Amino acid sequence: MANSNLPRRIIKETQRLLSEPAPGISASPSEDNMRYFNVMILGPAQSPYEGGVFKLELFLSEEYPMAAPKVRFLTKIYHPNIDKLGRICLDILKDKWSPALQIRTVLLSIQALLSAPNPDDPLSENIAKHWKTNETEAVETAKEWTRLYATGA
Amino acid sequence: MAARPVDDTDGAHQNPVFFPQPLTVIRTVTSTGARISTQIKAEEMTFDEFLKATNTKVMSEEECLRTQMKEEQPRELGVARVKEEPDMDFLSKGSENKPEVSNNTLALVPLERVKGKSFQEWLWLRYNSSVKSRGEYSISQEKEAGPKDLENGQSLNESSPKVKVKEEPYLGSEDKVDKVQVKEGSPNESRPKGEVKEVPDLRAENEVHVKEGLPNDSRTKVELTEEPDLGPDNKLHVKEELPIESTPEVKVIKESDLWYENRVYVKGPVGAENKVSAKEPIGSNFCSKPQKVKKEIVEERVVSGLVEDGDFPEDPEWFLVGRTIVTALSTSKGRKLVDNEVVHFAFSSTNWRHNAQWIVRFSTKRSGEIGRLPMEWGKCVVPLVNSSKVKVLGRCVAAPSNLSIMQEIMLCVSFYIHHSIFTKDDASSWRLDAPYNIDSTLHPLLSLFKLLKIKPYLKAEFTPEELHSRKRVLNLDDDSEEAASMLPIVKRRKGCQQYPEQSKDEQALSESSVNKLVGAAEMYNLEEMEPPYTLMCDLRPYQKQALYWMSELEKGIHAEKAAKTLHPCWAAYQISDERASSIYVNTFSGESTTKFPTATQMARGGILADAMGLGKTVMTIALILARPGRGCHVNHECSTATADGTEITKSNKDCHVKTSSKANGGTLIVCPMALLGQWKDELETHSKPESISIFVHYGGSRASPKVIAEHNVVLTTYGVLTAAYKNDSENSIFHRVSWYRVVLDEAHTIKSWKTQGAQAAFSLSSHCRWCLTGTPIQNNLEDLYSLLCFLHVEPWCNWAWWNKLIQKPYENGDPRGMKLIKAILRPLMLRRTKESKDKEGRPILVLPPTDIQIIECEQSEAEHDFYDALFKRSKVQFDQFVAQGKVLHNYANILELLLRLRQCCNHPFLVMSRADSQKYTDLSKLARRFLETNSNSTTTKQTVPTHAYVEEVVEGIRRGENTECPICLEYADDPVLTPCAHKMCRECLLSSWRTPTSGLCPICRQLLKKTDLIACPSENQFWVDVEKNWKESSKVSGLLECLESIQRTGSGEKSIVFSQWTSFFDLLEIPLKRRGIGFLRFDGKLVQKQREWVLKEFSETKEKMVLLMSLRAGGVGLNLTAASNVFLMDPWWNPAVEEQAIMRIHRIGQKRTVRVRRFIVKDTVEERMQQVQARKQSMIAGALTDQEVRTARLEELKMLFR
Repeated sequence: MANSNLPRRIIKETQRLLSEPAPGISASPSEDNMRYFNVMILGPAQSPYEGGVFKLELFLSEEYPMAAPKVRFLTKIYHPNIDKLGRICLDILKDKWSPALQIRTVLLSIQALLSAPNPDDPLSENIAKHWKTNETEAVETAKEWTRLYATGA
Repeated sequence: MAARPVDDTDGAHQNPVFFPQPLTVIRTVTSTGARISTQIKAEEMTFDEFLKATNTKVMSEEECLRTQMKEEQPRELGVARVKEEPDMDFLSKGSENKPEVSNNTLALVPLERVKGKSFQEWLWLRYNSSVKSRGEYSISQEKEAGPKDLENGQSLNESSPKVKVKEEPYLGSEDKVDKVQVKEGSPNESRPKGEVKEVPDLRAENEVHVKEGLPNDSRTKVELTEEPDLGPDNKLHVKEELPIESTPEVKVIKESDLWYENRVYVKGPVGAENKVSAKEPIGSNFCSKPQKVKKEIVEERVVSGLVEDGDFPEDPEWFLVGRTIVTALSTSKGRKLVDNEVVHFAFSSTNWRHNAQWIVRFSTKRSGEIGRLPMEWGKCVVPLVNSSKVKVLGRCVAAPSNLSIMQEIMLCVSFYIHHSIFTKDDASSWRLDAPYNIDSTLHPLLSLFKLLKIKPYLKAEFTPEELHSRKRVLNLDDDSEEAASMLPIVKRRKGCQQYPEQSKDEQALSESSVNKLVGAAEMYNLEEMEPPYTLMCDLRPYQKQALYWMSELEKGIHAEKAAKTLHPCWAAYQISDERASSIYVNTFSGESTTKFPTATQMARGGILADAMGLGKTVMTIALILARPGRGCHVNHECSTATADGTEITKSNKDCHVKTSSKANGGTLIVCPMALLGQWKDELETHSKPESISIFVHYGGSRASPKVIAEHNVVLTTYGVLTAAYKNDSENSIFHRVSWYRVVLDEAHTIKSWKTQGAQAAFSLSSHCRWCLTGTPIQNNLEDLYSLLCFLHVEPWCNWAWWNKLIQKPYENGDPRGMKLIKAILRPLMLRRTKESKDKEGRPILVLPPTDIQIIECEQSEAEHDFYDALFKRSKVQFDQFVAQGKVLHNYANILELLLRLRQCCNHPFLVMSRADSQKYTDLSKLARRFLETNSNSTTTKQTVPTHAYVEEVVEGIRRGENTECPICLEYADDPVLTPCAHKMCRECLLSSWRTPTSGLCPICRQLLKKTDLIACPSENQFWVDVEKNWKESSKVSGLLECLESIQRTGSGEKSIVFSQWTSFFDLLEIPLKRRGIGFLRFDGKLVQKQREWVLKEFSETKEKMVLLMSLRAGGVGLNLTAASNVFLMDPWWNPAVEEQAIMRIHRIGQKRTVRVRRFIVKDTVEERMQQVQARKQSMIAGALTDQEVRTARLEELKMLFR
C-alpha cells in the first residue's frame, strides 16, 4: 500500500512482467519501492556471456514513462557498451527513449546488446579497443569474466 | 497491491515474438523460469511453506540449545575453551586500576593458571579480595575458600525449591547445620547493628562489617527483626521452614540474605564453612565445630582440584546493577563445579547464526565449559555485554555433585554497569544494545531490570504493558462505533482497485474518513493570539486560534512544568550501587540515558490538518513571523527515536556531535513543486517588506548550508530535499543546518515512511516540526505513521510499537487501534473544517454561501433516440456478460460501455467520434488515405506502414476493437491514429511530445504534426463533421444559457466549467466561439508554465470569463477564487471529487456567493449514477467482505443497466 500512488501503467507492467516473464529475463519489484526492480538476465546463448546470470537494477523515475528507466548492471561484465560501474550505453535508454517502450522491451534490448556488442559506440574505451583489435581475445576475457562473476552463487 | 486481472485481458498476450524459441534458449528459459517462479512463490507462500521449500528447520529455543550443545561439545576442552573467548570486557576494565600485586600473593598462584589473561584475571581477583580482607585475615588463609567466602555468602540471594529436591543427598550434613545453627543465635544479640544500612550494595556493607570487626550477620539480624519468628529457635525454623521460605521468586536483596544463609546450610559443606569463617572473628568458642567442617571440605577440594572462588571486589569503574540467582543448564558431563566457584561467561559477539547469538556459556577455570544461561537471560545480556557498558560476573551457588548434560545449576549472577555512562559530560541518550530487529519491542536493559526485579522508582506514565492490557484510560469518548465504521474501508479498497477509473476517486474518499477518524472537532476552545505586526493581513479568529495553538505547541505546553516532569515514555530506575545516578529508560524504544528525560523533549510541533481552504499557509506564515528563531536545541535532537532504529539512532548521535558545527537556520518549508511559487508569493505579500528574507532553494542553485541558514525562510521541494539526501545523506545541505522549524506542506507527500523522501524529512534536525496537510491519511493508516515519525512523537515513531498496537489491530478490525490513534492525535493535531463552530457556535469561517443546484436536462427527441439506441446495444452486451457470468471479468469492457453512455449524455458527438472530416468516415477511405500519404511522402525516411498492417488496423477499427494505448496501457479514451497508422490516446501522445504541435511517434519515431492526427473512428457508424453539423445537446444548451445570463448581468462573475473529458471541451469550444464567449482552457496538455499563465490570465482578464477545466488536470492547492460560478458538466463516480472541485472556488478569498450547477440528464445513466453514489456511501459505512463488495458491485452495474 505504500506505493499506492503508483501509476497504473507501472502496476500493469509489473503484473505482466511477473505473470509472463520474458525468456531469460526476470524482473521483480522491490518490496518497499515498487519503482525499483531487481533484474536478472541470462547471458544469451552463443554469446560470450552464455551461462552467466547477470544482476541488474532498474529504477522508474517519477517521469516514467515519459523518461527512460534507469538501468545498471550490478554484476561485473566485460562488454564494450557497459562500463565498470555497470552503466549501459544504449540509445533507447537515452535520446531514443519512447514512452511506448516498456521495462520488458528495455530488458530485451539489453539482452540483445549482450548478444551483439557494439564496439563502435563504446562506453568503455578500453574494452572496445580490445574488442576491435583482438576480438577473440576480448571474447575470451568476456567469457572468463562471465565465469568469474556471473556464475555460481 | 491486490491482483487485478480484470483489465489484463487486453494486450497482455501480445508479444508472440517471444514464444517460438530455439531449443537452447528454451533450456535457459527453463532455468530462469524456475528462478522466477520461486521468486513469485515466495511472496505468496506462508512462512512454513517457505521454510519447507528452503529446507530450513525451525527449531524451538530448546532444540536449538541442544543442537548447539552437540555442536559445541568437541570444543569443550577445558581451559582451551576459556581461552578462546576470554571475558575481554571483564579483564580490560578490571585490570585498568589494578595496583601492584605483592609478591607473596603471586607466590600462591598455582602454576597451571599462569596462562595469559585468565591468570591476570585470577590475579586481580585474588588481589582484590586480599585487600579487602586485609586486617582480619592473613593471606595464608587464602589458600582456599577462606575469608572471601564471607562475601560470597552475601552475594547469594535466593534458592529455589528445585535445588532443595536435588540436594537431598546433602541433607545428610544436616547435623552440621544444626551445630552451625546454634551459632546463629549469637549474632542475633547484636541487633542494633542491623540498622547500619539498607543499601542494596552488599559489598559496601560488607566492608563496613569488616572494618568494624562486626559479624557479617548483622544483616541477618535485620531480617530477623522484620520477622521476629525467625529469632532464637533457629534450629526448628531452619529445618521446618526452609522449603517454604525458599520461594522460587527472586527477592529483593535485603530480604534474601536470610534465605541465603539458610540455604547455605542445607546445601552443604562449603556453605557451612563459609559461615564458620565468617564467624571466626566474633567468637572463638565456635571454632572447634567448624574446624571439622573445614576438614571435610579440604578433602573434597583435593578431589576436585583447584577451585576458583574468590569474590568479585568492588570496582570503582563498575557499578552494581543487581544480582540474582539464575538457574542455568549444564552442557557438559562429568565436570565438577563446587559452590561458590567463580564461573566465567563467554558471549558470542557475532550474529553468525540466528539463535546462537543469544547463547551465553559459562565455564570455570579448572574445568572449562560447564553450561549456559537460559535464553531469556542470554537475550538481554548479550546485547548489553556487547555494548561493553555492562559486565556480568557469576559464581555457582548450587550444582549437582556430578554434572551431566541439561542439569540445573544455580548461579549467582551480578550485573555491573560501567561508570562512564554516568559521568559522560554530554549525557546524551545511549542504547546499550544495537537494536537487532525493527519489529522487536523487547529491549535488553528493560528485560534485565525486569529479570532482576528492579522496579522503576518513577514509572513511565505510558508503558507498553498498559497498552497491552489496554488498561490505559485514553480520555476518549465512546466512539468505538465511529471507529468501527472506518474499518471496512480497508477491506473495501482492495476490491475497488478493479475499477480502473476509480483509483483516483479513492483518494478523495479518504477526506471523509479523515473526518471520521480524527474527528474534526466541532468546537475548539482555544485562545486567540494576535498576529505580529509584521503580518500584513488580518487573521480570522480561528486562524488566531491556530496561531495560539501552534505557538503553545512550539513552546511546549507547560514549559516550566515540563522541565520537571518525566517524559511519559521514560521510566526511572535506581540500580543497586548507590554511587550510580538514576538510569532512565524509554520503555518503548529501549533507549536509555542518565540525563533526566524531561517532557520538554517531546515533539514540538504537530499536524495542522485544517480542511482545504482554511488558510493553512497564512497561519503558518503568521507563526513564522510571530516566533522567529534559529537553530535547534541539542537535547531535542538526542531524544529522538525513529522508525529505522539502527541507522537513525546512530545518525542522531552523529548529528548530536556535529550540532555545534551546524549552521543555525530559520524555517525550512518543504512543499510540492507546484506550490513553490505560491508559497513565495504568499510569504512576500503577507509579510511586512524587509521583515523576513526568503530563499528558494530549488535545483541548480548551489548554495552552502551557511548561506541558506542566513535566511529566515528557506523554501524547497520534496524532490530537491530527497535528491540532496540521496546524494549526501546526513551531509546534505539541508541536514547540515540545524533548523528552528521545519514545515512540510502537503505533508502526506511523505506518507510512505520507507521512502528516501520520508527518511530525508525524518532526519532533518529541527527544534520544531510541522505538518500541513488537509489529508493526513490518504489511503492507509500507515500514512499517519510517517507523519508521526517526522514529528518524532514517541513512542509512536517506533515502528514496532506502532505496528503492534495500532496498525495490526486496525487491520484486523480491532477498534482499539483506532481509539488509540485518536488519543494520540488529539493533542497533536488541529483540524477544523468549514463546518467547525467557534465558542459561540458560529461557524469559524464565514464564507459566502454556496448555492448548489442540480440542473436536470431533458434530452431532445433526436438525442433521446440516439441515447436509447446506444443504451440498448450496451445493455445487450452487458446482459451477455451477465449470462456468461463474466461480468466481473469484463469490468473494463463494461466501464467502456458506461463511458460511452455517459459521454452521450454530454453530447452524442462524443460517442460518434469527432471525425475531423467527413472524408474519413468511410473506413476503406481511411485505409486509402494512409497508403496515399505514405506513397506520396517525399521523405523516404518515414516508415511506410505496410499494406497488410494498415488493413489490419482498419479491420480492427471496423470490428470496433479498442486496443490498448501503448503509453498508458489502458484502453484508449480518446484514441487518435497517426499517419503511420499507430493508435493511442490523444493525451498520452501529446504529453510525450516536447512541443505542443509536433513530435515523434512513440512507436516508430516518425515525426508527426498535431494536425496530421486523425481522431480514431470508433465502431459506430455515425460520422459527422462536428463543425459543419454542429448541434447543441441539451446539456450544452443548458450551459450556454447559464453562461449567457451571467454575461448579461454584467456583474463580471467568472465561471469554471468542469468536465472529465477534454474532448467535450473541444466540442464546447465551437458554440463558445460562435457566441463570442471568451474562454480559457486548463487541461493535462498544458505544461507547468502554461498552467501558471492560464491561471494568472483567468484571474486578471476581463475578456475571458470562462475557464474550461479538466478535473484530472487540477493540481493540488489550486486557488480559483476569481470565479464564483461552477458548472459540473458530468457526474463523477465519487461525489467527493466533485466536492474537491467546488473547494477550489469556495475558499478563503471568495467574496461572492458560489453558485454550483450540476448537470444531470434525466432518465439516463447519469441519474442512476447518483443512486450508485448514494449506495456507495452506505457501503463505506457498512462492513462488507470482499465477496460482498463484489456482489455489491455487480448489483451496482446491473442497476446502471436497468
